[in-house]
Amino acid sequence: MELNIVLLDVVDLSNTLAEAFTAVFQRAQRSLVIVHNGRDGAGAGVIWQPGGIVVTNHHVVARGKARISLVGGREYPTRLIAKDPHIDLAILRAETAGEYDPELPAAPIADSRDLRVGQVALAIGHPWGQIGAVAARIISGLGEVPVRGRQGTVSVIHTDVGLAPGNSGGPLMNASGGVIGINTMIVGGDLGVAIPSHVVNAFVAETLGQEVPQVAR
Amino acid sequence: MTQSNGNNILTALSDSMAAAVEKGGAATVLVAGRRRIPASGIAYAPDLILTADHVIERDDDIPVVLPDGTELVAKLAGRDPGSDLAVLRLGRAVAAVAEPAPQEARIGQLVLALGRPSPDGIQASLGVISAVGGPVRTGRGGLLERYLRTDAVPYPGFSGGPLVDTAGRIVGLNTSGLARGASLAIPASLAWQVAETLAQHGSIRRGYLGVRSQPVAIPPAQQKALGRDQEAGLLLVGVEDGSPAEAGGLIVGDILTGIADQPVNDPDELLGRLSGEVVGRPTAVEVLRGGQPRTLMVTIGERK
Repeated sequence: MELNIVLLDVVDLSNTLAEAFTAVFQRAQRSLVIVHNGRDGAGAGVIWQPGGIVVTNHHVVARGKARISLVGGREYPTRLIAKDPHIDLAILRAETAGEYDPELPAAPIADSRDLRVGQVALAIGHPWGQIGAVAARIISGLGEVPVRGRQGTVSVIHTDVGLAPGNSGGPLMNASGGVIGINTMIVGGDLGVAIPSHVVNAFVAETLGQEVPQVAR
Repeated sequence: MTQSNGNNILTALSDSMAAAVEKGGAATVLVAGRRRIPASGIAYAPDLILTADHVIERDDDIPVVLPDGTELVAKLAGRDPGSDLAVLRLGRAVAAVAEPAPQEARIGQLVLALGRPSPDGIQASLGVISAVGGPVRTGRGGLLERYLRTDAVPYPGFSGGPLVDTAGRIVGLNTSGLARGASLAIPASLAWQVAETLAQHGSIRRGYLGVRSQPVAIPPAQQKALGRDQEAGLLLVGVEDGSPAEAGGLIVGDILTGIADQPVNDPDELLGRLSGEVVGRPTAVEVLRGGQPRTLMVTIGERK
């Protein structure tokens, strides 16, 4: 009898866990974009702020004018409003009719300054052109890598999520779906590196002339 | 409602894995015993570090970096290339000592591979126990009774570091030195056992008998004579001149069925039984000769 109860608990637990993963990824898809750069591959991007502010990798939009589209949704022309090739980030503004397009909801951004190795790390992107594919593992390491340019070094999140071309510019998320970084394959010299969201926040704020946002923990 | 509950459970999993990394990581040290990138080690006793043999290229002045950044120098206390394990002795005690998992690893169990190849901090990857295998000959003259296989990413420098469960307890020691192209883990219980011997004696003594043998079936009548159900033994097809086997009276045609009151069914078992305590000692070797069990006292030699 007792054994049965234990078994039931295990089944409930894995169902709840599966639901939790699904819920996080469904929410994440709404703020995920496909970045078309006129070439074969497509990169990923994250709607970072309302008003069509999209963050992606610099190398995804380095050549030519990029368009974005929502997963299973409409397409928008964009304007490149900032780029930093040294940390492989770029900011696009989707050209929308109004200031707040409800179809472009901003992703919840988490604080990446208090991450711990071992925490769940979730990635979503378009690896090898597979739109909206998801992956789940953990944060493998936290460190600094040298970069050219004024920073000298940049903080990075290492992860054992297997990233592939097409994940570039997509979000790395924590267990509650908060974006903790932007996946990139250029900085750091190996696979599975993300630029933490506090670095992205500073870049976005500087670009838009905002104060660096205080994100909720 | 479901979503917030679900979210809690994912967050709880996340937090518990981070706590496991913290706990296991507190007993994971950097070991710079080779010219290439440093490897990892496990503080298995206050002044002893357990690591992989293949990452140690010298006997003295081996730099070890503790989780808090303290740099120490260790000495080789013992090594066993056969199981790819080595024990280093530190000049002083370290803060945290690893806790081995109370149970053997199970297939499907969530595990975290940990390593500290850089002073920047602990590194981890997530996986499951994919297989539990053994015994296997290691190709370095040894026999590993059991090994674990995992799909956790073996980052460079993870050899010698721990594989931990979700409570941060040590399930095994990771090494890429036992099988080419595959990352295996030596189960903690086995690794701890070898470590004890290495810390005390400096090496694992491997016995030498001096026979060539092949496995044969033992017919039911002879099993009855043995007094137990043992379906196989080792037929001696050669006894070397001047060997411990010859001195002890073993002859070609004997079927070897046991050593030191333990049954021997196949060559791997013979290799296993010949290591450790029995080396250099008169040891009871049980054979079937002409269908009748006999026990001979053989002083087991040492394989150099």
